[in-house]
Amino acid sequence: MKSRIPNPKSQILITAAFIVALGLNVFAQGRGAAPGRAGGPPATARAAAPFDPTGYWVAIISEDWRWRMVTPAKGDVVSIPLSAEALRLAEAWDPAKDEAAGEQCKAYGAPGLMRGPTRLHITWQDDNTLKIESDYGTQTRLLRFAGAAEAGRAGARTWQGVTTAQWTMASGGGRGRGGARHGSIKSVTTQLRPGYLRKNGVPYSDRAVFTEYWDLHVETNGDQYLVDTNVVEDPVYLQTPWITSLHFKKEPDASKWDPSSCDARF
Amino acid sequence: MGSVFVRREVLTMRAPIVVFAVLAFSVPAYAQIELTGSYSPILYEDYIERGPGSDLGDFTGMPLTDEGRAKGLLYTSNLPSTNERQCLAQAPWVLQYRPLGMRIWSEVDKDDKVIAWKIEGDYLRDTLTIWMDGRPEPSPNALSTAAGFSTGKWEGDTLTIHTTHVKTTWIRRGNGIPASDQTTYWVHITRHDDLLTVVTIQEDPFYLSEPHVVSRVFKFDPRANQGGRSICNTANEIPRLEDSGIVPHYLPGQNPEADFMMRTYNLPKEAALGYAESLYPEFRHKLKGLYTPPAACGRYCCGWIERQGLPGAAPGLACNDGGLGDLHPVVRSKSEEGKAAPAKK
Repeated sequence: MKSRIPNPKSQILITAAFIVALGLNVFAQGRGAAPGRAGGPPATARAAAPFDPTGYWVAIISEDWRWRMVTPAKGDVVSIPLSAEALRLAEAWDPAKDEAAGEQCKAYGAPGLMRGPTRLHITWQDDNTLKIESDYGTQTRLLRFAGAAEAGRAGARTWQGVTTAQWTMASGGGRGRGGARHGSIKSVTTQLRPGYLRKNGVPYSDRAVFTEYWDLHVETNGDQYLVDTNVVEDPVYLQTPWITSLHFKKEPDASKWDPSSCDARF
Repeated sequence: MGSVFVRREVLTMRAPIVVFAVLAFSVPAYAQIELTGSYSPILYEDYIERGPGSDLGDFTGMPLTDEGRAKGLLYTSNLPSTNERQCLAQAPWVLQYRPLGMRIWSEVDKDDKVIAWKIEGDYLRDTLTIWMDGRPEPSPNALSTAAGFSTGKWEGDTLTIHTTHVKTTWIRRGNGIPASDQTTYWVHITRHDDLLTVVTIQEDPFYLSEPHVVSRVFKFDPRANQGGRSICNTANEIPRLEDSGIVPHYLPGQNPEADFMMRTYNLPKEAALGYAESLYPEFRHKLKGLYTPPAACGRYCCGWIERQGLPGAAPGLACNDGGLGDLHPVVRSKSEEGKAAPAKK
């Protein structure tokens, strides 16, 4: 009778193949930062990207129009969970003072800017740094993934702060059926220079932390939406985290890019 | 004897291989995360609309067609009091515009495979069923229902839903912005930790000039007990209207509140009445020189009324809350939290 036991060489090959496959699958089950190649250097953030965030994106102001598209009345702080001190500051808002102090960009710091009527131009500055430029206020923020060059001098506070980022791969390692990859970006911005959450002087402090989850949705008609779910935490001026989401639609080119300088009033 | 030995050898040698094979290829059938639970809305966007309710004639942020705008301006606050129209505000996905949350759960088949996700919420007219079993959409001529017909699929950790076959409704909150029964929705539901982001992309060939995109955040809240009343009951609210045949409305061009947003907030007509151009940054070129902020905030100015009276809240807010704080202060002591959902507004 012929034995059906594979010969030793075949057993080794088969076992090796399964071990490799098993290893890949275990990789795929994990959630968190994108993995690198087994045994090799970690993949760059650009190489690991489960979606392409680059391009021109326009904010669709379909929510909070009266507070985002234009400057509301002084003291109109509805829907932001301010502390009493923050309310006092908002009611004392004086754009002329900001202009005199050279602080007309206070409403263009990262937490305020993202809710503004802006277009974004997103590019890879290098393999581990995503650059987000806005035409509204002509600001630039860098999302630094692991491996990116160090941020600026420790302690220096800027309108756009220092942002660390990571890819969060979807369940199954981000691989869906058909090999499509899915995931999102989680970014955390600190070292912010004190600014405004709203154009009419609603403040955030230098202790604010701005956390964002970025997701891409591609529609059947080809439209693409970048959704930024974000949380502003500020132990000084907020009673509780301020949580909102923003949506940007992809544009084909730069034809509507319209840089403007910071304006403390309009 | 020899045959038994060989069979045992085969089993011995292949067992590890079989185990490896099972483990190696046990990739999830499709990526998904657990959505089951109760979610509270986070009312930090469009608070006035989702709290006290929109002003008449406030169509800001809407891409309306001329027909949609005209129909919206026929609306009066008495219109929902007619029996036939009391449920029109309970559109599918109206949760995006309301102050209460939702409850989500799944239904499985005999093999524990999810065949549908269910969403229930206080402001829905019927439970939303999102079929995950690959069934086709019904014929375009099939019945429109209160919940519509929804199919879903996972795209990574995002549940993407297509909803069709809805009834004629009002959308947004309390001022008559219409949606036809040809409305369709693409919806993306993504969970990041305890936050649930719901993006609705609504299309309507009659009343919307382009897709209407809204994104909201809900928070997982096991104590919220959201949902449970996906139903609409009608009742005569104004005896004068009963059996009278009267349909409250404004005639075209005669709505006295058509210019409310213009005269109150100094907005141009295109912004106040929902022209699509007003949704994009370049519209500011038109606003510049036209717009000046109101001299003061007249009402609904406060940061977050629900925090009044709670530890850590701003005591004695100086801002004008429009009387809402007196009319409906959702003030709960810590001991009361979790016992009941906030009262319906």
